[in-house]
Amino acid sequence: MDKFAKLGQDMVLLWSKYKLMYWAGIWNTLKLAFIATLIGCVIGLLCGVLNTIPCTKNDPPLKRFFLKLLRVVIRVYVEVFRGTPMVLQSVFIYYGLPYFSNNALRFDNIWTAAILIVSINTGAYMAESVRGGIISIDPGQTEGAKAIGMTHVQTMLYVIMPQALRNIIPQIGNNYIINVKDTSVMFIIGFTDFFAQHRYIVGVNNMYFPSATIEMIAYLTLTLAASFLLRLVEKWMDGPDNYELVQVDALTMSAGTYTHPSRKTPFDEQNKEYRERTRQLLKHGRMRGDR
Amino acid sequence: MSEHILEIRHLGKAFGAHEVLRDIDFTVDAGDVISIIGASGSGKSTLLRCINLLETPTSGEILYHGTNVAGRGVSAAKYRSRVGMVFQSFNLFNNMTVLENCMVGQRKVLGRGKAEAQAQAVAYLNKVGMAPYIYAKPRQLSGGQKQRVAIARALAMEPEVLLFDEPTSALDPEMVGEVLAVMQALANDGMTMLVVTHEMAFARDVSSRAVFMHEGVICEQGAPAALFGDPQRQETRDFLARFRSA
Repeated sequence: MDKFAKLGQDMVLLWSKYKLMYWAGIWNTLKLAFIATLIGCVIGLLCGVLNTIPCTKNDPPLKRFFLKLLRVVIRVYVEVFRGTPMVLQSVFIYYGLPYFSNNALRFDNIWTAAILIVSINTGAYMAESVRGGIISIDPGQTEGAKAIGMTHVQTMLYVIMPQALRNIIPQIGNNYIINVKDTSVMFIIGFTDFFAQHRYIVGVNNMYFPSATIEMIAYLTLTLAASFLLRLVEKWMDGPDNYELVQVDALTMSAGTYTHPSRKTPFDEQNKEYRERTRQLLKHGRMRGDR
Repeated sequence: MSEHILEIRHLGKAFGAHEVLRDIDFTVDAGDVISIIGASGSGKSTLLRCINLLETPTSGEILYHGTNVAGRGVSAAKYRSRVGMVFQSFNLFNNMTVLENCMVGQRKVLGRGKAEAQAQAVAYLNKVGMAPYIYAKPRQLSGGQKQRVAIARALAMEPEVLLFDEPTSALDPEMVGEVLAVMQALANDGMTMLVVTHEMAFARDVSSRAVFMHEGVICEQGAPAALFGDPQRQETRDFLARFRSA
């Protein structure tokens, strides 16, 4: 029991002394994970959409060649970055660029390097998630969109992607959580994330275990908060479970002076007064006060 | 011969070595209501999907006002915006409300303004009796309601021809009636329609021409009264007899 008391004391001591360093680390980790996940998602979306451009026999040969080439390039990108450790990729890119360009190209800003590496990595994972999200959508949705004359881009933009995005939100969350944790390998190129701070701090005082406990608790808190927020986002994207019937003659509205559904007109079913009237009608079968 | 809206010439479709459609020839003129009947697997749906270019025909031509749309260098999207389609499985956009379903094509494909698209959508939804449900999502509707919205969505594009691919086959018996009523009203309004159906009563009473397909070819076609009353081919007789006994 006194071991735990000792641990608690050490943790309090560490925290009070190095609070600012820990906070700075947390902030850097969150910022890097968030930005990189965002950029990674964009890369993944692009790859996923480009990967699913249909290629029929009626297309000109040049277009078909480019589409095939594009698929091969994306495939190679995904396989290479998914199949090698991120810690190695960061060393490879961070030191590789100056090596080949005789120092003409190098990362003056550690942030650029870190964001680049983590985004590219996330992108590789997301590309597959997005592809999965797109092919999980019923082909009937695509046919429905095509049947009213939408082009591939329009179909993707307005019909498929909104649904695919909803389906891959858990994947995005997964990637964000992985990024929060895995950005810790960025210490290898000198990025001061949360875990790097731990290394500095224990280098000074050798309190390995108490500091690690602090890190464990903080990382867990960060990821739990992230999954909670993502659940909220999912709920919000699903929209309301109920809908309200429009009980006035819809045709009169469209033909009349109102552009339907204008807010704050008596016809607007979002309108408070109207909603109250509907509620009372449903509840009592008449307006309160009506005889 | 460009007075025909659609002219199908020697259309053929094969999936690998399996020939689903062979040498299909027929024309669609304004105001026609053509029912395509036949056993499952006779190629009815494939024919309809070829006409809308959802399947690429392997041979033959589809002339739309005299232009072959099955060839290269023709914008399939533009052609499809003039030829509406209603599917067996509705295919409403799940991420949009009923109103948005009927607006998105008008806005993005036809480039109409929001107010105009909305008025148009509500007008057609009213026609199919779905106007009260404009804020509902497809998942909240019954099959018959979904199909009526799907019809409104197709109508909102103001197509020249409307293709129906077994519009009532996925519906419970009590919902078939409401969809057929809408289709009958459209036929009475002079809409040009091509209907693949198993509803023999609809084919006989509403359509202006009936086409019987058997094993990938048009076996017999003509006025519904003649086709149903006095079928010339043995295959047609067998097919209709099965429906009468059922």
